[in-house]
Amino acid sequence: MSELIVRGARKAYGATVALSRGDLHLKPGEVHVLIGSNGSGKSTLCKIVAGSVKPDAGEVLLDGKPVTIDGPRAARALGIGIFYQELSLAARRTVAENILLPAMPVKGGIFVDRTELEERTARIIAEFQDVAGEGFAADVTVDRLRADQRQLVEIMKALASEAPILIFDEPTSALDRAQVDRFFEILRRLKQEGRAMVFISHRMDEIFSIGDRVTVIRDGATVASSAIAETNADEVIRQMVGEREALSAESKPPVPAAAGEPMLSVANLSGVGFRDVSFTVGKGEILGFGGLHGQGQSSVLRAIFGASAHHTGAIEVGGKACAARTPAEAIRNGIAYVSGDRGRDGTLTGRPILENVTPIHFLRNRLHLARPSVLTALVEGPLKALKTKFQDIGQPVNSLSGGNQQKVVIARWLIDRPSVLLLDDPTKGIDLAAKSDLFQLIRSLAAEGMGIVLYSSEDAELLANADRILVFNSGVVTRELQGEERTRYNLYHAAYEAA
Amino acid sequence: MSNTATQTSTGGLGRLIRRYPFLPALIILVLLLALNGVFEPRSLSFRSMTGLVSTYLALMMLAVAQTYVVFSGDIDLSAGSIVSLVNVSVIALMQKWGGDGFAVIAACLVGALIGLACGLVNGIVVAGLRLQAIVATFATSIFFTGLALTVLPVAGTPAPEAYWTTYGGRFFGIPFVLYAVAAVAILLAILMRMRLTTQMLAVGDDQQAAFQTGLPVTAIRIKGYVFCGLFAALAALCITGDTASGDPLVGGKMTLYSVAAVVLGGSALAGGFGTVTGSLIGALIIGLINALVFFVGTPSEWQNFVQGLAILLALMAGILVSRGARA
Repeated sequence: MSELIVRGARKAYGATVALSRGDLHLKPGEVHVLIGSNGSGKSTLCKIVAGSVKPDAGEVLLDGKPVTIDGPRAARALGIGIFYQELSLAARRTVAENILLPAMPVKGGIFVDRTELEERTARIIAEFQDVAGEGFAADVTVDRLRADQRQLVEIMKALASEAPILIFDEPTSALDRAQVDRFFEILRRLKQEGRAMVFISHRMDEIFSIGDRVTVIRDGATVASSAIAETNADEVIRQMVGEREALSAESKPPVPAAAGEPMLSVANLSGVGFRDVSFTVGKGEILGFGGLHGQGQSSVLRAIFGASAHHTGAIEVGGKACAARTPAEAIRNGIAYVSGDRGRDGTLTGRPILENVTPIHFLRNRLHLARPSVLTALVEGPLKALKTKFQDIGQPVNSLSGGNQQKVVIARWLIDRPSVLLLDDPTKGIDLAAKSDLFQLIRSLAAEGMGIVLYSSEDAELLANADRILVFNSGVVTRELQGEERTRYNLYHAAYEAA
Repeated sequence: MSNTATQTSTGGLGRLIRRYPFLPALIILVLLLALNGVFEPRSLSFRSMTGLVSTYLALMMLAVAQTYVVFSGDIDLSAGSIVSLVNVSVIALMQKWGGDGFAVIAACLVGALIGLACGLVNGIVVAGLRLQAIVATFATSIFFTGLALTVLPVAGTPAPEAYWTTYGGRFFGIPFVLYAVAAVAILLAILMRMRLTTQMLAVGDDQQAAFQTGLPVTAIRIKGYVFCGLFAALAALCITGDTASGDPLVGGKMTLYSVAAVVLGGSALAGGFGTVTGSLIGALIIGLINALVFFVGTPSEWQNFVQGLAILLALMAGILVSRGARA
């Protein structure tokens, strides 16, 4: 019987505050739901309790006594088990080895006790055997399992800890109905045993079917906590949205007179992580992609850009069919793509600013020789237009701040103007001033006639800048928000609906 | 029920390779043995096989040493230098202590301790101080070679007779090296059952996941390097028996051979997957390739060229076999 209290937990990564004031009161014998939008700090709070993130401030009380959890091992010793959203499995190890990896049974002090390993895992697996599906067995390596089966292994791993406190950070996102039902049966049994459990999910129906209490986190701070019986879905969504609802209504962009001729049209596009997506972006329009993180928005943009494959569907750029299989093809067809993951998709780390602005120019014009004086003149305009701050065009791009790096990446698309600009969460890790510069530029590019698609994981950004919003849920577009419908409330409602 | 599903989804060979990842290497080994037999029938005699093992036992040991760091996704470019350092230290000690049986055993024990200490240094530098394994162990390799050169500046001091006659001798009609091979096989079978081996592989698989699981990641990686140091010391004892002399540079060129043996044996250089058995077979493949190059009568100036080409072919064949099985 453990009672866990977290007070004022805080965690910042550089300038980004992941959690500003996390409070949680977890009682024995309850399933405590944590809810909040993308990046609100739920996972950070969980990881602080599980010891894999060290808080900058705040206190944790276990049964009334203050404790310091200085690592995952310490957390286990205190009786805290966790299901990690991103999973913590060794892909080449077997299901059985993974389930008991944290505490392998040993004999003779150093040898794995195979009999004990098999017996204990068999008992745990038996609880899920009939819903686990084909190919699931104790001696199969995890890399041969489907996504839902891996999630089951992580659930079993958490259950095997037999800890009095169990944290489940989005354990059901890949599970099917039968698997979720079985998991909930087990949770109810554990509740009877007096265990305390944290449960995170984005599916409202699940939350109300299994939860006892719900704590709402907004922008890194705990804002409300109430018994499930005393609240309802609308109330919870209102708490997640907060008072900024009114503000965002004011900062909404004016409804454009009419979107011009179509710059980009996508019909019935399906691929890994998304299906049957259709939309059109007109000349001068900014189309927003919204919804919870990882519901297929990035995958669609990357498929259009040729950075990942799509199976079926048609893409047209400026009325011409364009089925780019590589980014190079897409770029020559006039498509631009800016990703928030600058390290992976954007900057050429360690190379000068000049080299970071020119690669697209070289590609589109099939140039092979660099003439620094000509290039420097070409580069100056776009960098100035973006108000990029730098001392010297030859300084390495990684010596700039995140915001200025992103400006350099965007500048490379402005030498030869594309007709379509795809923005994949472009403001990740960028300060507020740079953000406002970026959105000013994006609006002026649209005014000049570009068609723009903007995916942002920050809902405020989306509401303030997109003319129309498509809400994604589990890889499909579930709702289109236009004109006056573009409110935080509607956005959340569509995003959190059971898919 | 679920087992049959996995079985039908892939061929029988695929299943076998998943269970015994060193199978492609074993096939190549048998092929090479056959080729050796074709070009030099006498090479398949018991006597020549014993000779092959006694020459390549050192590389086999070093391949095992390398495997334990590769398991957890690390690498040790100083393994060969540890061999050199232990080789010259053991020679120097045996000479100093007078070359009788007791001195030999004492020197071997000290040699093993030196190997352990070198491994510990590597582990602390790489896992403790979080330096890049490839560069850090390259640096320690220069450092260990430097130490070896101060112990014995030039090659040539002979090993006492008691040492090399034991290594090359026979007991009850069976060559000593075969006892050594049997002892190592038993030791490796025991090590394979250790919890530490599973933990090393889990760390090599996904270090972040292993940390979040609650495994002591740094300690596990350091232990990998300590194992590596110990087996490098055993390799040094073998090479001392085979060459019967001290040479401060003897191990240098063995390092990358040991890495090649690990890869030939089917282990993933990125960590998380592999077997020591595979590495032993990999070392033997390299030995047989060298023998074959000699038996087919390659002119001396072409031997390196042919040897390199043959190792490349063996690597490709291994990949083709496992890929064919997966499809």
